[in-house]
Amino acid sequence: MPLAYSLPSNLSPATVTNTSSLLRIISLALISGAAIASRLFAVINFESIIHEFDPWFNYRATRVLAEKGFYAFWNWFDHTAWYPLGRVVGGTIYPGLMATSGVIYNVLHALNLPVDIRNICVLLAPGFSALTAWSTYMFTKEMKDESAGLLAAAFIGIAPGYISRSVAGSYDNEAIAIFLLMFTFYSWIKALKTGSAFFGTLTALFYFYMVAAWGGYAFITNMIPLHALTLILMGRFSSRLYVAYSSWYAIGTLASMQVPFVGFQPVRTSEHMAALGVFGLLQIVAFAELVRAHVSSKQFQSILFGSVIGIGLLGALAFGGLTYKGWIAPWTGRFYSLWDTGYAKKYIPIIASVSEHQPTAWPSFFMDLQFLIFLFPAGVVLCFRELRDEHVFVIIYAVVASYFAGVMVRLMLTLTPVVCVAAAVAFSSLLDTYIDPVEPEASDAAASPAEGTSAAGAAAAASDAGSSKKAKKAAAPDPGVASGILAAVAPSGSGPKSRGIFGLDTRGLVVFNALGMLLFFVLHCTYVTSSAYSSPSVVLASTNPDGSQHIIDDFREAYYWLRQNTPEDAVVMSWWDYGYQIAGMADRPTLVDNNTWNNTHIATVGKAMSSSEEVAYPILRKHDVDYVLVIFGGLIGYSGDDINKFLWMVRIAQGVWPEEIQEPNYFTPKGEYRIDDAAPATMKNSLMYKMSYYRFAELFGGNQAVDRVRGQQVPKTGPTLDYLDEAFTSENWIVRIYQVKKEDPLGRDLKAANAFANGKKRKKSKPLSRRRAVA
Amino acid sequence: MLLLPLLALLSLPFCLAAISAESAHEKLVKLAASNNGLIKLDDSLYGLLTHPKRTWSASVHLTAMDPRRRCTPCKEFDPSFSAVAKAWTHVPQAQRDTHFFATADFDNAMGTFQKLGLQSAPVVHIHLAAEGDRRPASGRSAPIVYDFSNGFDAGPLAEQLSAYTPVAIPYKAPIDFAKYGTAAGVALIILSGIRFFLPILRSRWAWAAGTVLTSLVMTAGFMFVRIRGMPASGANGQWIAPGYQNQYGQEVQVVSFVYGLLSAAFLMLTLVTPYQTHSSRQRLQVYLWSGVIFVMFSVLISLFRVKNRGYPFKLLL
Repeated sequence: MPLAYSLPSNLSPATVTNTSSLLRIISLALISGAAIASRLFAVINFESIIHEFDPWFNYRATRVLAEKGFYAFWNWFDHTAWYPLGRVVGGTIYPGLMATSGVIYNVLHALNLPVDIRNICVLLAPGFSALTAWSTYMFTKEMKDESAGLLAAAFIGIAPGYISRSVAGSYDNEAIAIFLLMFTFYSWIKALKTGSAFFGTLTALFYFYMVAAWGGYAFITNMIPLHALTLILMGRFSSRLYVAYSSWYAIGTLASMQVPFVGFQPVRTSEHMAALGVFGLLQIVAFAELVRAHVSSKQFQSILFGSVIGIGLLGALAFGGLTYKGWIAPWTGRFYSLWDTGYAKKYIPIIASVSEHQPTAWPSFFMDLQFLIFLFPAGVVLCFRELRDEHVFVIIYAVVASYFAGVMVRLMLTLTPVVCVAAAVAFSSLLDTYIDPVEPEASDAAASPAEGTSAAGAAAAASDAGSSKKAKKAAAPDPGVASGILAAVAPSGSGPKSRGIFGLDTRGLVVFNALGMLLFFVLHCTYVTSSAYSSPSVVLASTNPDGSQHIIDDFREAYYWLRQNTPEDAVVMSWWDYGYQIAGMADRPTLVDNNTWNNTHIATVGKAMSSSEEVAYPILRKHDVDYVLVIFGGLIGYSGDDINKFLWMVRIAQGVWPEEIQEPNYFTPKGEYRIDDAAPATMKNSLMYKMSYYRFAELFGGNQAVDRVRGQQVPKTGPTLDYLDEAFTSENWIVRIYQVKKEDPLGRDLKAANAFANGKKRKKSKPLSRRRAVA
Repeated sequence: MLLLPLLALLSLPFCLAAISAESAHEKLVKLAASNNGLIKLDDSLYGLLTHPKRTWSASVHLTAMDPRRRCTPCKEFDPSFSAVAKAWTHVPQAQRDTHFFATADFDNAMGTFQKLGLQSAPVVHIHLAAEGDRRPASGRSAPIVYDFSNGFDAGPLAEQLSAYTPVAIPYKAPIDFAKYGTAAGVALIILSGIRFFLPILRSRWAWAAGTVLTSLVMTAGFMFVRIRGMPASGANGQWIAPGYQNQYGQEVQVVSFVYGLLSAAFLMLTLVTPYQTHSSRQRLQVYLWSGVIFVMFSVLISLFRVKNRGYPFKLLL
């Protein structure tokens, strides 16, 4: 057997095994290190701070848990949120994330390591990303082998698709959920492969953890039944499947019902019915198999087959009937909108308004996964080639997740693991083929009819590249591409064939090319992570002309102003995006926040923002609002401001008060969205417009004022406010806070009072003003 | 000087009021009954329908159906409005006569269009009752403009108009026999040809092709194009939409083709080339596919650079 390059032959197999396992451990440790380190850009560039919006609530809840203990956290009623309604926090959250941080906090303190709870929260996501890399390694190892596993771990460790949700400081449910997802899938595959109830129970326990941690657990709830159903349909029912599924479903469902937020949903809603249905089907199929093993009559078996199908149909009808009767809730908003993509915009505009719920354009896929995205189909094809039970799982996962990721940007997160796994399988197959030193016998070197060389060389024990005369004969007539494809398409078990690579240059080229792509991937990931995904969005950064970094810290400036200058029970109204931040940083009651459970309340705020001062004032007073906070980016070009979100406020308000708020009124007759002189009157009179542009023109000292986000010229005489007072405007005008005036002590309308204070006399009759010439 | 037009303007309501609300109502009821519940408006009838002392409400559809106006949305929307108006005729008379459906065509009611300052069509105005017990609490007299954000279909139109009618409009979408027929036909063909389809259904490579095509198309942004209703290509023939969060329909095809080619090149290198038993041919294949990977990857990167201007890396191109 010719070799392309020589290998040392004086190594004992034990040495090889030991060295490779040591190398594996070292590689995994390095991968974990890289995964953690690449998520620290945010801490190094800025500081150890909680990012964005939702994490601020999680952080606040975790602080309650750490300071007051678990029971206080469990029974916590938050008076300050959704003023005046309040919010039962314990029953409306997934507590897994906070509990995890709480446990870590208590363990560290028991070890006399006085770590601040904030730092635990900030660094939780990077820490769990290392665990994700490990569980992806375990998962991929079941698919192919250790080398593919290491590649998959490295891919998921630095793939931007996962980093985007797990940088240091993004303290959100997804931070731990992806680890739980991958580990649940790993133990499911393991349970299925071994038929072990132990691994089935492990799957159930991690499923429970996942249910406690993230609403996306429904993905597992449906993936595993789908896999089981497909296996049954493929005629691959086995007692291993029965044991694995039954132990997972029984324990997992009972455990998941312990989470208060989930409660009885597993038996009452459509999202969970697939799991229940497959569970029932499995029992029927298992019973049929049992009977078949004991009965020989052929007719009886066909009757049995018919009755299995009949019972299955009856079960499906029963589900339909129960749903129709209302015993089982039909598919609900968020999940249903994945199938009927127009549904959310029509019926739940709040969900449709969130930017992470928008569909994904192809550059996002490429940005998040780079070369993995085109290796991914290749990996899926390789799975089809072997098609063991676990490969079916990857295939289903691939189809489902790529559809979901296409519908919602946010679900890119669930696609990333399967892309990493499939790409790693493809990539490691390529490397296996081209690193293997064994050369096949060339058909053009006709002088080597060596017989019986089927045994591979000692060094290439792992390779299956043997050659036998029979196989050669089969492939001999036309060794062209067509037969190559045929040989490749045939299942790998069909017998050894002559396969391998000739020469060193070909090996060198392919391996060099592959390493180049890996290197490029690392550069890409570093660039994307540092530039796109490491901004805390609470603190913004810009560059000075000399290249140095300039930190824009308006949000915290304004929130701390609120904290220090307003009474503790002062109610702050803002659009719901900023509710959690105000509660977390300013510690003041808010009307609405990012837990968007009450549409009417949000629409009320939307109505107040989009109607004129006279209409808005009674609403503000009825809700005890003391301060109104708006985000305005027109001065420095911060595009995520409230004027850009304004149409959603209008739309949501219109959903509740269609007669009073109408979206077309906020556009010019030509259908443009404008804020300059040509803006429609409704727009100019709206509270949001007035608060955003109040005294903005003065800033330009008589020059034409320009809004740098919209790129439009702002009217020189800005809006006036009668019912609100400007209380605070941050350094770069990003946050503007207005105080709501109390009713006039003399009982006048505030507008009249204001006019009086400005020295304008009330016009009594026309002739009176005629008399004097107007200056 | 200004007094004369002013007087004329002031007298306008009186001229209208000269026809009493009751007689106007009778006339409208008759007109509606004669034309499937839909009143064809001209300028004077429009004034009648929007009588300042009306006790009824009305949905007025302002459109331009004449082919010369070249208003395609008008043509699209007109059947929907007529269908909803027809559905309203099935309501018991007591309620039916308190809400009217009317259409004003631009060529018959130019004055109305001018008065309303309308530049575009179709528009649906909902006039609420100005007097009587159906007068809204807010006393609003200006018409409500129907929001077309749900498309031109009759279903959402009926649903939203029902908010202003005394009883809900009993509109039911006609059964789409063509759709059901096609579905039944396809099912029948599949069932009868199950013997021929079964080998395909059982073939793993048929499934593999389906799976791979699905994921290729999905990762190339197919759903984005579908949900947003993006055109296949932009104006003036450009096929790459500017901007990172944006794309045209053609990009789906190009990008999925590039992905597919790259994927296929990897598969060829992994699966097919090793079976080539002729060493020089094999070498040629390896070089060929490596070249394809390198070039196509460069093309992909340069495409991405068009979308994301700040991207600092590039290969060949």
